[in-house]
Amino acid sequence: MAKNVYEDFLRLTGFEEAEMPKYLPEWRKASAKLGLTEEDIKFATEEQLPTYFAVELEGIRKLLGCFVKETIDLTRAGEYKEQGVKIVYGILPAMLHFYYALKLTVPQKVFVSFPDIFLTMVMNGFFHKLAPYLEEAEKTGIPYGCRHCALNKARYAARRLNIIPSPDINWIWGFICDEAPKTDEFISLYHDPEWKTYITRLPHDQPLGTVEDEVIDRVKYLAAQMKDGFEFAQKEIGIKVPEEKIKEVMTFWQRYGAKLDELGKLMTADPQPLGAVSGRLFWEGLFTPFNTGIESMEQALDITLKEVKQRVAKKEGILPAGAPKLLIYSLHPTVPWVAKTFEENGVGIPLSEFFIQTKKQLQPPSFDDPYMAAAEGWLRTSGMVNPGYQAEQICEKLETHKFDGMVFGMMDFDRWLGSSHRLLARMVEDKTGLPVFYIEGDNWDDRDYSLEALRTRIESICEIMKMRKA
Amino acid sequence: MDTLAELAQIARTRPETLKERKAKGIKVVGYIGRFVPEELIYASGAIPYLLCRGGQPEPPDAVIPYMLRFMSPYGRSQIGYHLLGIDPVMPMLDLVVVQCSDCHESRLADLFEYFKLPTMRLGVPQDWEKSLSRDYYYKELARLKEKLEALTGNEITDPKLKASTDSLNKIRDILAKINLLRKKQPPPLGGDDFIRLNHYSFYGDPEPTLSKLNDLYGELQKGKSPFSPDAPRLLMAGHVVGVGDYVVPRLIEDSGGVVVADFLDEGMRHHEWPVKSNGDLMAGLGKSYYLERTPPSLFQPAWEERTAVIKKLVKDFNIDGVIWYQLSFEEVYDLECSVISKAMDEINVPLLKLESSYEYSREAVGPLTTRIESFIETVRQRRS
Repeated sequence: MAKNVYEDFLRLTGFEEAEMPKYLPEWRKASAKLGLTEEDIKFATEEQLPTYFAVELEGIRKLLGCFVKETIDLTRAGEYKEQGVKIVYGILPAMLHFYYALKLTVPQKVFVSFPDIFLTMVMNGFFHKLAPYLEEAEKTGIPYGCRHCALNKARYAARRLNIIPSPDINWIWGFICDEAPKTDEFISLYHDPEWKTYITRLPHDQPLGTVEDEVIDRVKYLAAQMKDGFEFAQKEIGIKVPEEKIKEVMTFWQRYGAKLDELGKLMTADPQPLGAVSGRLFWEGLFTPFNTGIESMEQALDITLKEVKQRVAKKEGILPAGAPKLLIYSLHPTVPWVAKTFEENGVGIPLSEFFIQTKKQLQPPSFDDPYMAAAEGWLRTSGMVNPGYQAEQICEKLETHKFDGMVFGMMDFDRWLGSSHRLLARMVEDKTGLPVFYIEGDNWDDRDYSLEALRTRIESICEIMKMRKA
Repeated sequence: MDTLAELAQIARTRPETLKERKAKGIKVVGYIGRFVPEELIYASGAIPYLLCRGGQPEPPDAVIPYMLRFMSPYGRSQIGYHLLGIDPVMPMLDLVVVQCSDCHESRLADLFEYFKLPTMRLGVPQDWEKSLSRDYYYKELARLKEKLEALTGNEITDPKLKASTDSLNKIRDILAKINLLRKKQPPPLGGDDFIRLNHYSFYGDPEPTLSKLNDLYGELQKGKSPFSPDAPRLLMAGHVVGVGDYVVPRLIEDSGGVVVADFLDEGMRHHEWPVKSNGDLMAGLGKSYYLERTPPSLFQPAWEERTAVIKKLVKDFNIDGVIWYQLSFEEVYDLECSVISKAMDEINVPLLKLESSYEYSREAVGPLTTRIESFIETVRQRRS
């Protein structure tokens, strides 16, 4: 049984037969390190992945495989460090151009990762087994009761459990919440003095409605902060990145973003051709660096685009034609049952507002300087700016994709991204007249807000939407 | 201690005083946070009013329709009273300056703007050791200066700024002297009164307040301590004791302990750091407010330095135990508590973590009292 369980899992996640000799032992070793049992692997293969992901599509299987490969790679970071590879971490959200640029410059000498995101996505999304990590953090200094972010707990626990090594530099961006960067200060003082961190921050001090990417002083300040942080990171690991490398990444990022935009349009076709969870994982490519490379993500995306186009052409859908569709603030594959419950109740939530782009975001940057371009891009992103500007961007997205309403919430662990939702809901409802809902919950950690706890709320929303559309 | 009562009365009647002044055309400027210099507001001819209320559960609840409920009850209180229609000052403010040094404050500023209050945000970068960040804060101060000049029609000249700086330095100086009296055993003044005294100092005109503080200092030097000679000596640390949130310090001292030192980021005068009143006055303000004071918990890095400061307080004030007073869902203070707790363990000083959502009903105060009493008893036994 043992052999088949691991092999079956890899086959389901898009691994080719030729890859088995290399990846089968690595996956066994990685899963043991992560605390996954054969039962866990079997659960993922037979229940979790087939239930929530469109594994009948080759592109989606390949997509899952990208995450598996990256997770295997993450568990090997300690080995890489022993071999002299420089370990560079970051945290969400950050503009990953700089991390990729490091990797592109010296691929064999640098390991880049946002470790918590892969652990959380894979351990909960694939195996529903993040809880032991969270509990480890909770009993060793990050208390349960304060509603701390699961990503921060996972990062800390991963270090405590020696899943990951200390970084040579952990360059973190506190452009959103305070807790994430402070967690790294916590790790270094409370547990691991080798946890070396450099922070890059930006105050949330723009009045409601300010179009932040057009405030030149703000763009300049952010660009200077990015440059300062990147220069520090390069100095720490002794690598000099030519600016062309950043531009090269940005060119790729634009291309990948355009493909995602295409997928977004397909996802909102009527009938909805693909479950929301399956599609959503592709957007991680915009926000999280893959040490194993983004190329395989792009290949998986290309295959998926082709497969989904075929479904659209044949009018095949996971919901009946004419089903109501809602824009959700952010859907995380770590709690895949959220989308599934909507879909089972006849309502689609095909896209996440946080991830899809406005027309302005798809435009080329106004600046040639890569830091100014990156800063401008950051300040064009709805989740990064003041709620007045954010509400305008949300309204544009609702209009572009012809949504019937919107769902906020599921971000109660985040004192920045999650704290404005009730206000945003009022703003968006006032501007659009569309129904807007709020669900208190946690997109990473479903121990408190389980399917059982939220089912009634989701079913009620679906009933309202179906009645409105009838 | 009649002087303390007189200062309390002045603070209590501040809204009426402000109304009278406003009728005479004087501008009233509300502000939130330790990075907004009162010196500039006074120098502009306006009157500052610190928004720092807390201690009641209804005002934070009033904000929930507009904000995540897992936000600081202290932050939510600053607009909650207004939403309930029971804040006499907010409607008369000509400007509200909100420091934006963390998510809670920035989201509060969002709500001020949403409710059409005349708001100015003062950006405070948390990565304070970088010159980039320091320059940012200095520019923000310059922007505040311009804003106040435009609001009042008065130029903030160097002589005016020097006068307000000197005046507030004198208040800091006398508070520092009063604070040092707490080194005595038993101290002539407890933490409940000292925290209130700090609060009162924000709600009176500087000159008469200074005079009263000087009187009080004289009285305290001569007077007897109201505390038992064997009362455990405690340090109260955390984010803030809001104006009106006196249940916990009072319970501590009613339970036989005495708070002889405090380490609070907001609502206090930071009396150890006078502002330089010669040379470039604006630079002096920036340096004192941003660089010289102990960094708040939100700054990064901060906790190593803050731990060292707490250890020094423990030594200098002969502390027997630490009470960490934290408000619900203040995620950064919650993390810091673990760091401080570990450090206190290492020097064998007991620490009690208390968390408040401003729920002080009889049902809530009972268990809270038991915890405090048990802690004080433990500390007392350890000392003996």
